[in-house]
Amino acid sequence: MFGVFFVLPMLYLVVMSFWRLRLYRLEPAFIIKNYALTIADYGESILFTIALAFVVGSLTTLLAYGFAFALRFRSGRWGDAYLFITLVTLFGGYLVKIYAWKTILGNGGILNTGLMTLGLIDEPITWFLFSPVAVVITLIHFLLPFAVLPIYGALRNVDPRHLEAARDLGARPRRVFRDIVLPQTQAGLVAAFTLAFLYSAGDYVTPRLVGGPNIQMVGTFIESQFVQRLNMPQGAAMAITTMAACVLFLLLMVAALRATLRQR
Amino acid sequence: MIPVRERLAAGVWHVFVLGVILFLLTPLVLVVLFAFAANQIQAFPLEGLTLKWFAALADWSAFWVALENSAIITGSVGIFATAIGTAAALALSRMRVRRAGLLMTLLSLPVTIPPLVTGLALLASYAVLRLKLGVQTVIPSHLVFTQPFVILIVYARMASFDHSLLDAARDMGASRWYAFRTVTLPIAGPSIIGAALIAMAVSLDDFVITYFTIGGGNTLPTLIWSMLRKSLSPSVNAIGTLVLLFTIGSSVVALRISKYRG
Repeated sequence: MFGVFFVLPMLYLVVMSFWRLRLYRLEPAFIIKNYALTIADYGESILFTIALAFVVGSLTTLLAYGFAFALRFRSGRWGDAYLFITLVTLFGGYLVKIYAWKTILGNGGILNTGLMTLGLIDEPITWFLFSPVAVVITLIHFLLPFAVLPIYGALRNVDPRHLEAARDLGARPRRVFRDIVLPQTQAGLVAAFTLAFLYSAGDYVTPRLVGGPNIQMVGTFIESQFVQRLNMPQGAAMAITTMAACVLFLLLMVAALRATLRQR
Repeated sequence: MIPVRERLAAGVWHVFVLGVILFLLTPLVLVVLFAFAANQIQAFPLEGLTLKWFAALADWSAFWVALENSAIITGSVGIFATAIGTAAALALSRMRVRRAGLLMTLLSLPVTIPPLVTGLALLASYAVLRLKLGVQTVIPSHLVFTQPFVILIVYARMASFDHSLLDAARDMGASRWYAFRTVTLPIAGPSIIGAALIAMAVSLDDFVITYFTIGGGNTLPTLIWSMLRKSLSPSVNAIGTLVLLFTIGSSVVALRISKYRG
C-alpha cells in the first residue's frame, strides 16, 4: 500500500522531472532544462517561499512551545481540558479555517469593524487581508495544533521533580529551562518546526485565497504548471527543487540549533 | 521568590493560554454562528437566526452529489485504512522498539510531505497508467496519508500489550483468528475505533489530494473550493458547519474512547 501509492509515485515524479514535453505529450528523456528554468524563473519565488515558511515555522513553534509548556506545568487540572480542545481543532475544516480568516481580516471583516467600533482606528486597515500577513496568520492558526502535539509529547517526559531539584539547588528559572527542559524537548521542537515549515512551503491554497495577487509562493506556480499549463515535467522539477531547498534549509537549522544548545 | 510575583506569573501564563485557545476557536465559532445568521454579509450585528442557508443547500443538486462522493470515500477509507493500519500496527508491536520506531517514521512520511507534492505525484502516476480519475482513484490516495494516523494510535495502545497473553491462548488451542478476536480485539478495540474515526475525519477534510485525484467530480471540500472562488454565499458557512460537525464530532468521540493524548 505504502510502496505502491507513495514510494512509486514519488519516484515517478523524480524521473519525470527530467522528461521533455513535445506537442503536449510526455517524452522520456534526460534533460536538465526543467531544472535550469526552475532556478532562472522561479528561484526568487522559492527563496521568498522559504523565508515565509521560516517565519510561519518559527512563530508557530514558539507559540506551540509556550502553550504546551503552560499546559504541562502551569495549568494544573485544566491542562487536560485545554489539550483536548487543541486536539479537537486539529481535525477538520482546512478550507473552512482559511475561509473564516478571509472573512475576519477583510475590510468589512470582524477585526476591522471591531477595531473601528472600539475607536482604535478610523478607517479599515487594508493590509490585513491579501497580504503576506494574512497568509502567516492563517497558516499559524492551521498548524498550531499540529505543532503543539510533538512538543507536548516531549514535555510529558520531563519530570517536574527534576525542575524542583534544580530550583532548590539555586538555579534561576532561565537556567532550569535551558539546561533541563530544552535539551529533553529538542526532538519535539524539531518535529514541530519541520512539520510547520514544510507544510507552509508546500501550501498553495492559503496564498491563493488570502494572499492576494502579489504573493509569490512557489506552490501556486507548481499547481498552475500541472493544472493550467499541463507541463508536468516542469512542475515536477519545480516541486523537487523546492523540496530539496527546504530539506537543505532544515538540516542547516537543526545543525544551528544543536550547536547553540551544546554551547554552555 | 515572593508570592505576589509568583501569582502574577501564574496570571500571565493563564492569560496566554486563554489567548491561544481563543485564537484557535474564534474562527470556527464564527463560521458556525454565521451559518445560522440571517446576514448576507458576515459582519456584526447579527440580524436574527435562520435555517435558510441549509435549506438552500438542500435544494442544490451539486451538494447532494458531493455529499454522496464524500460519504463513499470517507466510508471506504475508514474501512481500508483501519484494516491495513491495524495489521501494520500489530506487526510493528511485535518488533523491537527501535526498529518499530524507525519504520513508523518512514511510514509517517506521507504526513510530513506537503500534500501538494503527494497529490501531484499521484496525479502524474495515474495519468501515465491511464487510469480514469474519480472516486476510485481518490480512495487509495487517501489511504496514503490516513494510514499513519491509524498505525500511530493503535501502536500506542499495543506498546503496553502483553504478547504472552496471545501465546497462552494459542497454546491452549485457540486458532489465530479466535485468539485475535477474544484477546487482542477487546484490548485494542477502543483504540481501533478511535483510529478509524480519526482517519475518516482526516479523509473527509482533505482538499488538496482530492482535488488532484478526483478528475471532474466533487467532494464537500472541493465543492467549498469552487464556491469560494465564485461568490461568497453564506451557504459556504452551512457546508463548513456540516464538515466541522462531522470531523470535530468524530474526533471528540475518538479521543474520548481511545484515550489518546498526543
